[in-house]
Amino acid sequence: MRGITWKTVALLLAVAALAVTIAACGDDDDDDGGGGDAGEQADAGADKVKTAIVLPCPTSDTWCKQGFDAAKKLEAAGAIDLEVTTNAPQDTAGVTRVLAQYAQGGTELLLAHSTYQDAVFDVAEQFPDVNIASFAFELKDNVAILEEPIYEGAYLAGMLAGGITESNTIGGSAGQDVPLCHAELEAFEAGAKRTNKQVKMIDAYIGDWNDAAKGKQATEAQIDQDADVVIACGGGPATGMAQAIKEADISGFGYVGNMDSQAPKNIVGSVIYNLDPYFEAAVEDVRNGSFRPAKRYEFGLADGGVDLQLNEGYSVKEIPADVMDQMEEVRAQIESGEFKVPYVDGT
Amino acid sequence: MDWGEIFGPGALVVLLSSSVAFAMPTALAAVGETVVERAGILNLGVEGMLLSGALASFLVAYYAKSVALGALAGIAIGVGLGALMAFLSVTLGTEQIINGIAIVLLAQGITAFTFEELFGGEEQPTIGGIADVDIPLLHEIPGVGPVLFEQNVLFYISVALAIAVALLLTRTRFGLSVRAVGESPAAADAAAVSVARTRWLALLIGGGMAGMGGAVLVLGQLNLFETNVSAGRGWIAVALVIFGRWNPLLVLGGAFVFGFTDALQIRVQAVSGGIASTVPTEIFAALPYVVTLIVMVAATVWAGRDAQPGALGAPFRKGVSA
Repeated sequence: MRGITWKTVALLLAVAALAVTIAACGDDDDDDGGGGDAGEQADAGADKVKTAIVLPCPTSDTWCKQGFDAAKKLEAAGAIDLEVTTNAPQDTAGVTRVLAQYAQGGTELLLAHSTYQDAVFDVAEQFPDVNIASFAFELKDNVAILEEPIYEGAYLAGMLAGGITESNTIGGSAGQDVPLCHAELEAFEAGAKRTNKQVKMIDAYIGDWNDAAKGKQATEAQIDQDADVVIACGGGPATGMAQAIKEADISGFGYVGNMDSQAPKNIVGSVIYNLDPYFEAAVEDVRNGSFRPAKRYEFGLADGGVDLQLNEGYSVKEIPADVMDQMEEVRAQIESGEFKVPYVDGT
Repeated sequence: MDWGEIFGPGALVVLLSSSVAFAMPTALAAVGETVVERAGILNLGVEGMLLSGALASFLVAYYAKSVALGALAGIAIGVGLGALMAFLSVTLGTEQIINGIAIVLLAQGITAFTFEELFGGEEQPTIGGIADVDIPLLHEIPGVGPVLFEQNVLFYISVALAIAVALLLTRTRFGLSVRAVGESPAAADAAAVSVARTRWLALLIGGGMAGMGGAVLVLGQLNLFETNVSAGRGWIAVALVIFGRWNPLLVLGGAFVFGFTDALQIRVQAVSGGIASTVPTEIFAALPYVVTLIVMVAATVWAGRDAQPGALGAPFRKGVSA
C-alpha cells in the first residue's frame, strides 16, 4: 500500500466530487415512465417530435414543476420523445453548454424554461436546425417566445383581495422589477381597486429570485404595515410569502403553480400559469413544419394558459358572495374578450 | 413619506426583532469563519457548509420530525465539511481558495441533486415550525425585551453559541493558540503548539457554526428547503469577517448591522410607495452593503491598524521556513 499517497487519495476524492456534481447538473431522463408504453406502438415513434426541456430548478419548485408537468403530459400522450435537464446552470456559459448538447444531439424542439436569452440566441445561431421556445424578449427565426400573461389571473385575485381585506391594505413582493412582475402587481392592485375603492397597495422588490427567507421578511414587513392580503412574484418571494402568511394567519395568493399545500388555510387561491397549451402549440408547429418564422405564443385566461384556482381549504375570512360573483363575471368577460385587463409593465 | 412608520418606537421594535432573527444564519457563519481565519485558514467554503447544513437539518427534521435532531444534523454536516476542508488545506497543504470554492460547488451540486431525487415532481415539502418563547421578566423590558427575548429557542441557542465562540477566541488558552497559529505558525510551532491540530479544530468549529447557520435558516425561519436556499449568506459571512476586522464581537455586530439595513431597505421601499416610488429599487437593495461598508471603514480608520492575521491563506509545513 506504500504506493498510495495522500495525494492519490485527494485526487480520487476530487474525481468523486466532480462525478457527483456532474450527476447533479444533468439529470437526464431517457424516455422512461409515461412515454414507454406509447413508444411500443409500432411506427408511432416516427412522427414524435424529439424534444428536450431545460429547467433552472428542481421539479419540486412550482415554476419548474409547471414546465415539467406540461412536457411530461405530451410525452405520455405520445406526441414527443422527451429528455429533461433539471437544475441547469443559471449563467450564460453554463446553460449554453447544456442547450448546445441537446441541439447537437438532434433535438428538434428545445424548451428553455427560463429567461436564458443570451444562451438561447447563441445556440440558435450555432445550430440553425434546432427550434427553441423560451422566455426571450426578442424573436428570431428559430426562437419563439412564450408569453406569460399572468397579470390576467392576478387581476381576478386582486378583485377577491379587495373584498377580503379589512385593513384596506394589500401587499405584493417580487424578485425584481421586471415587466412580468410589474404587470402582475399592477393588475392585482387594479383588481382590488375595482371591488374596494379604499384599497392601498404596498410593494417590495427584494432583489433576489431564490432567497425565500428574504421573501418572507418582505411579506412580514408588509404585514407589520397592516397588509392582510398579499401576493408575490418569483420562486423565492412566493415560498417565503406562503410561510409568512401561515405564521401571521392572513390571506395570500399562490403564484404560477398551485400553492395550497404550503399554507392550506391561508392561500385564497393560486394564479396558475399552465404551459400545456404553449407546449402543445409549439410541438404541433414543429411537427407541421410551421414553427418558422417563430412566433409569440400567448394563451391567457381565455385559452387555458392562465387561471385563478381557488383553494377549498381557505378559511381565514369569508369571501363576500357579491365580490365572488363580480369576480366570476369579470372572468367570463375576459374569457369572451369583452374585457381586457390593462397591461402595465412599468417600461 | 412618513418616517414615523419606520423609525417610530413601535415600528422600530418590529423592525429590529425581525432583523436580528433574519441575520442569525449569517452571524453564526461569520463568527465561525472568524475563528478559522484567525487560525490562518481562508475558508471560502462557508456558503457550501451553510447550504449543506440547511438541507441536512431539513431532511432530518422532515423524516424524524424532530427540530432538535435536525439542528444537530445541520451542525454535524458542517463539521464534516470543515473536516474535509481541514484535510485538504491543513493535512495536504493544498491551495485554500480552490478547496473552499470546490466545497461550495460540491455542496450546491449534491444538495440540489439530493433534494430533486427525494422530492422532485412533488409539492413543496414543509416541516412544522417552532414557537417563539418569551423569556420571563426579560421580555418585559421596553424596547430590548420584544427584540431579544421574544424569539424562538434556536435564536437563544445561536446567540449563546456566537458569544461563546467569540469568548473562546479572545479569552481562552485555545483561543490564544488559534491566534498564534494564524499570526506566525513557525513561532507557535516553536512554542510547542501544534499548528495542524489547532487549525483542524478551528475548521471543525467554523464548519459547525456554518452548518448551524443553515439549520437556523431552515428550522427557525423558513420551515422548508429550496435549491440554493442559503442565497449567498455564506459569502456575506466571509465579507463580514473582513469588515469586522477579524474581531469576533465586531463581526457579530457587523452581521446585525447588515441584517438591520437589509430589513430597513424593504421597509423603506414599502413606505416610499414601492412600485410607484421615484427612487429605483436597486438603490434600496444596495443600501445594506453601503452602510455596512461605511461602518466598517470608519472602524478601521478609527483603530488605525491592519488587522489581518499574518499567515492568512498560507499553508504551514513543519520544519520548512516560509
